[in-house]
Amino acid sequence: MTILYDEGQQAIATESRRVLEARVDKDALLPLLEAVGEYHRPFWDTAKEQGWTALALPEAEGGLGLGLIELGLIAHQAGRSISGAPFLTSGFGAAKAIELFGSDAQKARWLPGLASGETIGAIAFAAGPDALPARPDVTFTDDKLDGTARGVSGGLAADVAIVFANGPGMPVLALADLAGTQRSAIPSFDNSRLIADIGFIGTPAETLAVGGAARDAALHILALQAVVTAHEQTGGAEALMEIARDYALTRKAFGQPIGAFQSVKHRIAELYGLVELARANCIHAAAREGAADFITAAAAARLSATEAYDTAARDCIQIHGGIGVTWEIGLHLHMRRARSLAIEQGSSLFWEDVLVDQLAGEAA
Amino acid sequence: MSDLDAYRAKASAWLQSMAPTFGRDARKGLSEADDLALGRRYQKAKFDAGYAGINWPTEYGGQGLSHLEKVTFDAEEMKHGFPSFYFGISLGMPVPVLMQFGSDKEFVKERVLKALQGEEIWCQLFSEPSGGSDLAGLRTKAEPEGNGWKINGQKVWTSWAHYSDYGVIVVRTDPTVAKHKGLTYFWVDMKAPGVTVRPIKLAGGDSHVNEVFFDDVKITDDHRMSPVGGGFAVAIATLMIERYVATDSAGFGPHLDLFVELAKDVQLNGRPAIEDGRIRQQIARNHAMRAGLDSINVRARLMMQAGMMPGPEGSLNKLVAVRSRQKLSELALDLQGHDGFLFDEHASQKEDWASSWINAPTGRIAGGSDETLLNTIAEKVLGLPQDHRPDKGIPFNQIPA
Repeated sequence: MTILYDEGQQAIATESRRVLEARVDKDALLPLLEAVGEYHRPFWDTAKEQGWTALALPEAEGGLGLGLIELGLIAHQAGRSISGAPFLTSGFGAAKAIELFGSDAQKARWLPGLASGETIGAIAFAAGPDALPARPDVTFTDDKLDGTARGVSGGLAADVAIVFANGPGMPVLALADLAGTQRSAIPSFDNSRLIADIGFIGTPAETLAVGGAARDAALHILALQAVVTAHEQTGGAEALMEIARDYALTRKAFGQPIGAFQSVKHRIAELYGLVELARANCIHAAAREGAADFITAAAAARLSATEAYDTAARDCIQIHGGIGVTWEIGLHLHMRRARSLAIEQGSSLFWEDVLVDQLAGEAA
Repeated sequence: MSDLDAYRAKASAWLQSMAPTFGRDARKGLSEADDLALGRRYQKAKFDAGYAGINWPTEYGGQGLSHLEKVTFDAEEMKHGFPSFYFGISLGMPVPVLMQFGSDKEFVKERVLKALQGEEIWCQLFSEPSGGSDLAGLRTKAEPEGNGWKINGQKVWTSWAHYSDYGVIVVRTDPTVAKHKGLTYFWVDMKAPGVTVRPIKLAGGDSHVNEVFFDDVKITDDHRMSPVGGGFAVAIATLMIERYVATDSAGFGPHLDLFVELAKDVQLNGRPAIEDGRIRQQIARNHAMRAGLDSINVRARLMMQAGMMPGPEGSLNKLVAVRSRQKLSELALDLQGHDGFLFDEHASQKEDWASSWINAPTGRIAGGSDETLLNTIAEKVLGLPQDHRPDKGIPFNQIPA
């Protein structure tokens, strides 16, 4: 049950686009690539000030009571602008984990700060290539976490993390205050993601879910984040398609705009197809939150959005020729982001398996 | 339940009641002649039940409902394998165009009613050996003769011409002006002297398309449906109607469920193929693509319901769906290995992988090739430049052949 955006939702899209286009530009983003552990503070200040951090959280917890559809629209615009901070997605996932699986005390402790954006949340589920491992690296024993969560996006700045850990004979979804943990920044091809290893040494943690329920909960949170990220990817792909189109209209070769060559115009038309399929799946997935087929819809959105953004990055640069690979034109910002987003919420390999399990009736 | 849901439920119940008489199983083993006869009876039953010409004006025997009821009915109808494709072109384009542009209203009404009841079939004589994607490059000509016209030339790829009573045709009436400006639109009696229909056998074994030859075929001027020289606009109007026909994210091939079932049944290297990463990847990617198209189509319906025009992304349907159907069908045959050699040319393209595969190229060409559709998206949606056209503005008879 796909939807048509109503007027309020369209206004959210228009306004967030206007604000982001005014406040984010590539010249502010390029220096972040050369520093480890920096992010684009104006973006995050904008997110807080505009209420994006509160948008999809319940009013009782300091949120605005809107949902995935509205947050998706913001993420789409953030993707167009190459948002310079990783917290919109992972902070939302952390907050949703607490909202859905936390106690009243945990909600009161964490949600108002996450909603205002003063508290930064992160998700630490993955172990290396596995987005949701059978046996996580981090262990949970006697309400304490030990071990290292590797490559956590936003992990360097986060105040609280939701950790998928290996408990006594079963997985545990745990909530940990990160004060006092050992954090080391990972130099990355997309440095403003604040990717870090988080070292837990007897770190106190609280359980949100245990056993099969922990895995289901973690997959649900991952799917929520994947839908937000898919919107972000689609926004990035759309921006690249437009950049490619505009360049093909102005750049001339052999006496005509290169967009008149079918090898170029068809490449851009194919991008249009990928962007629109991804957008359609995003709209559908956001509208399926809470439905039985939400995981299926989220996986489809994630797969098509990853394909759209990666392909758009490749092809847009190819269409530009030599200028496309220069530092200052900045297309590599999108290329880097396309790849970091492709990995962050579980790669295509992960979501392909999740989706086929759903379709073949072998859902976990 | 919305009005549309109620309509769907009622239509679905009626279609189910018709399935034993006219559906997939009833048609098994019929000759084409018998199948066509069954199709005519089915079309009459639709007319009597109020499901023919759903979105056509009531004064012509239609139901006066909207496009939404029409696509709703079509989607339900597609599930049963009825013999309705003989009338698809006829009722899809030529007859609606006749309603819009035919001058003799009494004659038009009689034709429309007969077509709606399956008694008469119309074909669309557009493509030619040298005028396919470049429709305005056609060479079949009509010259004034007495108070009418005389047609000479050849058309090709004319669906169902061998069963057709009438056809609509675009011909060149003035070769001395630019190619788009010298065309005129007529209807013709397919049984008239000088009309020869020769079926073309296609790779998949079917012969539903034809070559049609016109040798001194005489028609009166009341057959004309456009101003002299104004035929291209009417031809484009015909093709615009075509845009809103039913869509199918499976590319009119098998549903993905059938592939998943196959992958569960077949062993690959000693394990069920559904466990093989390559197979899983294709299932997942095909699902994501088809789900995207489904969502685009649902949104298009919602927009129409809200009185808005759907966006241009609907143009992706055929391009994306048929291409992926072709590749998935190849993979399904790979999966069956030597068991996949068995071929039944009468098998359904929606249920049989070999049939789906061998007929897929037709789907990628008919109604606009992939390349034409990509050009349309690039030029009309994204505003990229038109292809270089050396024949632009040059009188037709001066374009180098």
